[in-house]
Amino acid sequence: MGFFSSTATSSPPPPKISSDGAPIAPDRTQRAKCWEGRDAYFRCLDKNGIIDSIGQKDKAEKECAGEARGFEGNCASSWVTYFKKRRVMEHQKAQTLEKLRTEGAQEMPGQVARGGPGQKP
Amino acid sequence: MSKSFIPSRSLLSSFSRSLKYDKPTQQCLRLRSINASCLHARAPAPKSFSTSSARTYKTVEEQRSRYKSGPFSYRAASSSSPPARLIFYFRYEKARMERLRIAEATKGVGRPKVGGPFELVDQEGRRFTDEDMRGRYALVYFGFSHCPDICPEELDKMAVMIDLVNGEGEGEGKKGEKKGLLPLFITCDPARDTPAVLKEYLKEFHAGIVGLTGSWDQVKDVCKKYRVYFSTPQGVKKGEDYLVDHSIYFYLMDPEGDFVEAIGRQHSPEQAAKIIGGHVGDWRGK
Repeated sequence: MGFFSSTATSSPPPPKISSDGAPIAPDRTQRAKCWEGRDAYFRCLDKNGIIDSIGQKDKAEKECAGEARGFEGNCASSWVTYFKKRRVMEHQKAQTLEKLRTEGAQEMPGQVARGGPGQKP
Repeated sequence: MSKSFIPSRSLLSSFSRSLKYDKPTQQCLRLRSINASCLHARAPAPKSFSTSSARTYKTVEEQRSRYKSGPFSYRAASSSSPPARLIFYFRYEKARMERLRIAEATKGVGRPKVGGPFELVDQEGRRFTDEDMRGRYALVYFGFSHCPDICPEELDKMAVMIDLVNGEGEGEGKKGEKKGLLPLFITCDPARDTPAVLKEYLKEFHAGIVGLTGSWDQVKDVCKKYRVYFSTPQGVKKGEDYLVDHSIYFYLMDPEGDFVEAIGRQHSPEQAAKIIGGHVGDWRGK
């Protein structure tokens, strides 16, 4: 991917410093760029069947190196870790729900509570 | 009277009533801003009331009217109860009035007290305290500017809510005037969120949002008062990159600084605006 040249650093440029000396948080544009980078990276992980890019670091690095640069180059490293972990967590959540569904678990009333108590599916 | 009181039973029933009443009282208080105060604005009790049989209340009016006549009538108490029962009854009444008085003073009886005095600075570097919240409804959100995805989403929602609520109310409060809903953003990350950082950050969402920060201790204190859990590390080095874990709720506070309702992620801006608008309207109608 020609997204970044081979010399590109894998972290965003240092944040601007505010008038009172603290780093300014990413603005809307920077956030959008970061999210785009993340989505592209996750699409690549999806294609290669990788859920946990931290646990399967080697494979992820091999398959999605370009996308990883686009991701890490646009997001602060704490954000990168957060999104990677969140991906795993959301996958686990979806799996648990799916597993329960295939096991024939009945939807608990809690799930339909918004529609009113005592509602039958 | 169709109802007869056997002494022991009346005592028992007053006990069970007192238990039963606990909940409606709270409910009533919770509805306080919707209906006028429980104490002062009782609906007139129906004349035929004493003959109706005991049952659960369907409406607040019904509950109130029952409340007025008390757990049992004086006549029943004096005619069929020995003096000890009567003393008990007066003690019970006294305690009930005391409970109501306290409830009236704090409004949050039965619920944890949320909110309270604090002192912070806004994004212009001006001192801002809980006193500055008085006189209008406030929508309080806790977050931090270096938040990856949830805070920006929630702040975008907040901006829609502000316009929906303040836009409807005679077009007031649009540019941070002293009317309408007051939106507050309190940082959980005072180390990085200085007034200037908050100013840069919040202007992208809504011009009316007041961003508040302070020392680590001041922020810790306000978070504690609002029952906000947060995990900002203390004494981080400059330039260090970290995230803050925190609770995600909007807190609606009334013009007297009392907590009204929490609005969560499950509410759409439209739903939230409806909830807020309802409360604001009730207060005006007072």
